[in-house]
Amino acid sequence: MPDEEVLEEGVLNPVKPEIQDPLLRALLADEPAPAPAAADTPKEQPQAVEPEAAEVDCVVVGLGAGGAPLLARLARAGLKVVALEAGPWHNPEKDFATDEKAQDFLFWNDERLAAGHDPLAMGKNNSGTGVGGSTLHYTAYTPRPLPDDLHIRRDFGQGEDWPVSYEELEPYYEEVEQFIGISGPTPYPWGPARRKGYPLAPLPLNSAAQLMVRGAEKLGIRTSPAANAALSARYYQEGLGWREACTNRGFCQAGCSNGAKSSMDVTFIPLAVQHGADIRPNSFVTEIERDARGYVTGVVYTQNGKQKRQRCRHLFLCGGSVETPRLLLLNELALTSGQVGRNLMAHPGLQVWGTFAEEVRPHKGIPGGLISQDTHRPKDADFIGGYLLQSIGVMPVTFAGQVARGRKYWGQQLRDYMRNYNHIAGINILGDCLPHADNYLELADEKDARGLPKPRLHFTAQENEQRMNAHAEKTMRGIWEAAGATDIWAFQRYAHVIGTARMGRSGDDAVVDANGRAFDVPNLYISDNSTFPSALSVNPALTIMALSLRTADKFLEGQQRRDG
Amino acid sequence: MSIPSYPSGTVRALLDTSHVSEATRAAVQARLGAPTAYTPQFLAPESYALLEAVAARIFPQPDRPEQPVPLAPAVDQRLAEGRADGWRYDALPPDREAYRLGLGGIQEIAQALFQADFTVLTTDQQDAVIQALAAGNPPGATWQTLDADRFFEELLAELTETYYAHPLAQEEIGYVGMADLPAWTKIGLNEKEDREPNLSS
Repeated sequence: MPDEEVLEEGVLNPVKPEIQDPLLRALLADEPAPAPAAADTPKEQPQAVEPEAAEVDCVVVGLGAGGAPLLARLARAGLKVVALEAGPWHNPEKDFATDEKAQDFLFWNDERLAAGHDPLAMGKNNSGTGVGGSTLHYTAYTPRPLPDDLHIRRDFGQGEDWPVSYEELEPYYEEVEQFIGISGPTPYPWGPARRKGYPLAPLPLNSAAQLMVRGAEKLGIRTSPAANAALSARYYQEGLGWREACTNRGFCQAGCSNGAKSSMDVTFIPLAVQHGADIRPNSFVTEIERDARGYVTGVVYTQNGKQKRQRCRHLFLCGGSVETPRLLLLNELALTSGQVGRNLMAHPGLQVWGTFAEEVRPHKGIPGGLISQDTHRPKDADFIGGYLLQSIGVMPVTFAGQVARGRKYWGQQLRDYMRNYNHIAGINILGDCLPHADNYLELADEKDARGLPKPRLHFTAQENEQRMNAHAEKTMRGIWEAAGATDIWAFQRYAHVIGTARMGRSGDDAVVDANGRAFDVPNLYISDNSTFPSALSVNPALTIMALSLRTADKFLEGQQRRDG
Repeated sequence: MSIPSYPSGTVRALLDTSHVSEATRAAVQARLGAPTAYTPQFLAPESYALLEAVAARIFPQPDRPEQPVPLAPAVDQRLAEGRADGWRYDALPPDREAYRLGLGGIQEIAQALFQADFTVLTTDQQDAVIQALAAGNPPGATWQTLDADRFFEELLAELTETYYAHPLAQEEIGYVGMADLPAWTKIGLNEKEDREPNLSS
């Protein structure tokens, strides 16, 4: 609870700080403290669902980085909004264990089929469920893209350009960074100068980050503490209250138990609840209903075993780049461009691991402590685009699984190698990816536990990704050798599924326009990573949130025009 | 570099302290206290015995002759409940089918190499069977249709993740991340909190 000490130590959210915290305001004004608002404890509220629900203005499907920001925006504008989230609403402080296996419930565990020469691992690698979506277990690495990420075709003649410019997105990046409390360096060493710095100082560097600094310095590669969506100091969150600083648990990828990580459930969702959003967890949407004109009229969903219907004037699909196209394909909706399920991209996420004489204890601290974007457009590149470099911490079960898959060690050799765990550190890349005709999502004949066709994801790294990986492996091995590592090995992986319902300027070759509105269906919007026309050379979460706010604003502008 | 080793007893001692949250303690203790006897729910008794024998070579535990970290029960339970981890190689059949076929295929390799069941082979012979599977082109009709590389990777990954989820396996590698309250403050190179273990030697 806020008190005088908080006034010194906490950092106020810069967005309208003077009116946010009722307790703090009371303290400052020397008024009696108000009773805590019900919105402070949204998880305790039972969710009543009327059997014959009346029509609402908007239904939002999916409460991850794509759905939560716009939900809050639409609710704040006074619209009647209902959010349907397939997964449960957790109480992290009570329910989240510091134990990887016990946290498996955070992942979308319905089976997806991984095809192609480089099959994409899903589950804990690429999915999420629950109120907060995959932000419940994202690493919280939140660099902005650099402006030229958005026009790779203009620069290289391949890939796709975004119908939205960096300049248009910039205010939204700034708003998200300030609102959710990103910790990062000011000024930021790469990209254009910014109007505002990060609201919080960077998180402390862990061992892997220190080692990367050491290796990169010897090679003349610039590094910086990274931007992370986890709090380096207490922060006031509108709709929720004070969020505590990160305790360096290092378990971001298995769920944050103290609210320090800026997942949607401790940021945009409490704001949405404060403004009256109706959040329905455990609600899995199966059907999208339409009228004779082709407009969406509502959705059918299953909640706790019961089938329900919610009518709406506008529908926002925010289920991510697997469930969103699956819903469109299942419902034969917005398919005229032929692009639903196509253009599937995944970030090259090659990791390089090494053993150090020093003690590393790699599970402690924010996992992605350090960044370099010197490799954004490498001078000696024989490929299009570029990548960022990142130091990585790792939890033991995740690491062991990667050793098994990557090195194929077994028996005594595996046990012996794993005893080096406390001396192991890694770096990885996050690289751009080009769309390719061979990479797509389709519905398989095989059914999942819900009786729905399983999604099948085809992914094969093409020449450009392979060349980028080769360049990156050489760079990272060099850094690790310079830092003093032995027994260096590389683990090939791809992270984030992107692009399966892309945005563009025309319905001939895109599913939605720059505002996220479907070309085929005027009251259908998509807000998640499926709309990305290109993969970007940075982690997607920040851009998903920024686009989500922009989509909400564009939608609201359109509504105002219609009203006026 | 010599192989690091850590003292035993660290995790059990930490579980009794306030460094471990209730949710974490519940998860860790459930695994520590799992009953040693297990009756298979999904696999037939002989298939289960084979899986146990294979797991005992993929994770040899000569240091725990009385009570090895149990591995086969987790696989059998998962298959019985039909749980998935969110994805599967398209090249492989559904998990239950893959395990049924793959375990049969391991018997085929044992028969082809040593004309005997896997479970009666010497440990060296068993290792040779697993090595043949790991190498990717083992003998046997099963492996004409079942992708040996992918099956071995899945089997190995599941056993590995089961093993290192166990608190005693975590203790073996010097990991005590479960004791993370109130915070980790020493997170840099060669830094550790007092509650983190030193190397044994």
